[in-house]
Amino acid sequence: MTTGRRIEGTMPVAFRYTPGVGAGAFLAGLGDRELRGSRCAACGVTYLPARAFCERCLAALAPEVRCGPEGTLVSATAVHVDVDGRSLPTPEAYVLVRFDGADTVMLLRWLGPDAARIGARAAVAWRSEHVGSILDIDGVVPVT
Amino acid sequence: MGKRVAVVGAGMTRFVRRAEETGKELSWIAAAAALESAGIGLDRVDAVCLGTAPDAFDGVHRKGDYLADGAGAWGKPFMRAYVGGGTGVFTPIQGWYTVASGMADVVLCVAEEKMSSCRPHPQGAFVTIFDDIIERPLEPNLLWIFALEMHRYMHAYGLEKRDIAEVAVKNKRNAVDHPAALLGQADLTVDDVLASEVLAWPVQRLDVSPISDGAVALVLASEDVAGSMTDRPVWIQGVGWNLDTTYWTNRDLVYPEYVEHAARMAYEMADVTEPRRQIHVAEPYDPFDYKELHHLEGLLLFDKGKAPEAARDGVTARDGDLPCTPSGGLLGVGNPIAAAGLMKVAELFWQLRGEAGGRQVPGTPERGVAQAWGDLMQVGTVVVLGTDGGPATTASDPPASAPPAPRATALDDAAFLAAPGAVDAAFDGSYRWDPGAAMGRFLDGLAEGVVHATVCDACGRTLVPPRAFCERCFRPTDGWAEVPATGVVETYSRCHVAWDMQPLDEPRYPAVIRLDGTSQGGFLHLLGGFTDEPTIGMRVEAVWRPPQERTGSILDIAWFRPAGEEAGS
Repeated sequence: MTTGRRIEGTMPVAFRYTPGVGAGAFLAGLGDRELRGSRCAACGVTYLPARAFCERCLAALAPEVRCGPEGTLVSATAVHVDVDGRSLPTPEAYVLVRFDGADTVMLLRWLGPDAARIGARAAVAWRSEHVGSILDIDGVVPVT
Repeated sequence: MGKRVAVVGAGMTRFVRRAEETGKELSWIAAAAALESAGIGLDRVDAVCLGTAPDAFDGVHRKGDYLADGAGAWGKPFMRAYVGGGTGVFTPIQGWYTVASGMADVVLCVAEEKMSSCRPHPQGAFVTIFDDIIERPLEPNLLWIFALEMHRYMHAYGLEKRDIAEVAVKNKRNAVDHPAALLGQADLTVDDVLASEVLAWPVQRLDVSPISDGAVALVLASEDVAGSMTDRPVWIQGVGWNLDTTYWTNRDLVYPEYVEHAARMAYEMADVTEPRRQIHVAEPYDPFDYKELHHLEGLLLFDKGKAPEAARDGVTARDGDLPCTPSGGLLGVGNPIAAAGLMKVAELFWQLRGEAGGRQVPGTPERGVAQAWGDLMQVGTVVVLGTDGGPATTASDPPASAPPAPRATALDDAAFLAAPGAVDAAFDGSYRWDPGAAMGRFLDGLAEGVVHATVCDACGRTLVPPRAFCERCFRPTDGWAEVPATGVVETYSRCHVAWDMQPLDEPRYPAVIRLDGTSQGGFLHLLGGFTDEPTIGMRVEAVWRPPQERTGSILDIAWFRPAGEEAGS
């Protein structure tokens, strides 16, 4: 009969993700307070963040479209638990926002004083210092 | 057997140590190049087959759909295949049956690997291929498996390292002519290989293929539409794949029977009855130099133990009687796992179309075989390509066109570490494994100083490691037997590096121990307590830890020492 032994272990790996060509151009734009997207004229789609290629036709794309800084809320949620399922002291609000000029949406924090409302107008809120990552965007705020 | 399937286009990235491009972007470069070479747009593609090896390399736990957009799968039927290192040659097999079945006329096959994301070393992911209960406590690294198999192969045929190093030299020299190659080296000599750092004897640094990033893609088309895309289709004449037992320490380490089974399946489909005469160019899987030789024998292209002689005599050179790995292979072009396998199929496509440039083999080869190998050293995947066998095309001897130039931007270590916007993240997963019923009793036995086996009455085998069911008869095992903790060294290695490739203060001696009283049973353990260097075939006995120190673990055996010796170090 087994004595109920257990063997414990890990997978000893860590990762360094580099942004690549498309996202690299987008992140560089954040330093200039720009939301850089890329447009496929053939498919009529503007991607934000910028991508190196169109997923619909595989054409190469350049990050030459400026989107935002305002947009429209597509969906919203308030998160009450962390990744381990524990209650958060204060709920955190996240929204999907479609910035003007873009066909795709971005997931960002909602910084408004009131609950986010689908369909409402919003604008990007920049972090005061440039950190060179998606965190250059603090979130979105209501447009009044 | 269904519709005939042709390869009508191929493309690839450069293989680099660290790519600036993401995995998606690498996939896209390869896919777009393959479509360009086929002269079609993505709108002509009916389905996409993706091959990529463990998620833990890229650090993306859903690598199939993560890569889907780069593979051109938007809005299409899409499936990711994964059979370890065999994935790259399995991907076009998956594409073949998708087309042969009539489900699709055009399939885009893409294989990708981006291993540079994984730190400190991709072996951190590889260590989990070892059995969690009875192997990982020994702190193995992936090189052990190769070193143990290579040593056994050398022992069986009386080979010297020099015989095997010829393959590394040939392939790294061949790679000089490959525009995608990472490690082409025109002036490499056998002595350079023999002088390179010993990692896990007999494996030395230059016996091994490099960690790489890259992607490769093929376009497959049914006989109904291939003629509309190219005047020179290359037909998939045969496919085969086969898996041996997952108990790798129970296998015949000298001869890859699973490769033979896969090859026979593919040859039968291709009506190849005399492979040595009918195969004109071969791309066997070569992550290590000895593996090319091992696989050439499994592919029935040379007698058992005779491939090294052929390599030495130049038979497998690009201008030899049977050119093998004219691409430069994993050893020379690079080894982004799944992509490397598909690169071999792409090489056959280019060779058979006369488009291989400086790598072109002499004459007009009409048929080739590509093969890959993987999972836990037990899967063989084989594809036979040929210029004959499909419907006639309308073309009259069109000129060869150069394949698309491979692209990808290499980052050196400094640029990688300084890359703007890079994100570091640890894989925060830890596990607790239950040994299960059979292995649980085995561990109980070790705590008592006894080795337990299970017995299958149907096939008459006595099994170590013990299992609850016989994988051959596929029925419960019938009972237990105690076997002596003695046996012979089936093979061993002298390992100088840890799993993260950092040097060890003292070498370790992993070995496969064949236990007395079992049916080719045994397990991985360590040798110790010897004064002279161990030998294959040496009789050994377990050195048990004192009863009060045993915990019901494989480590209750401290090591195996030469039988009849006093306890040593």
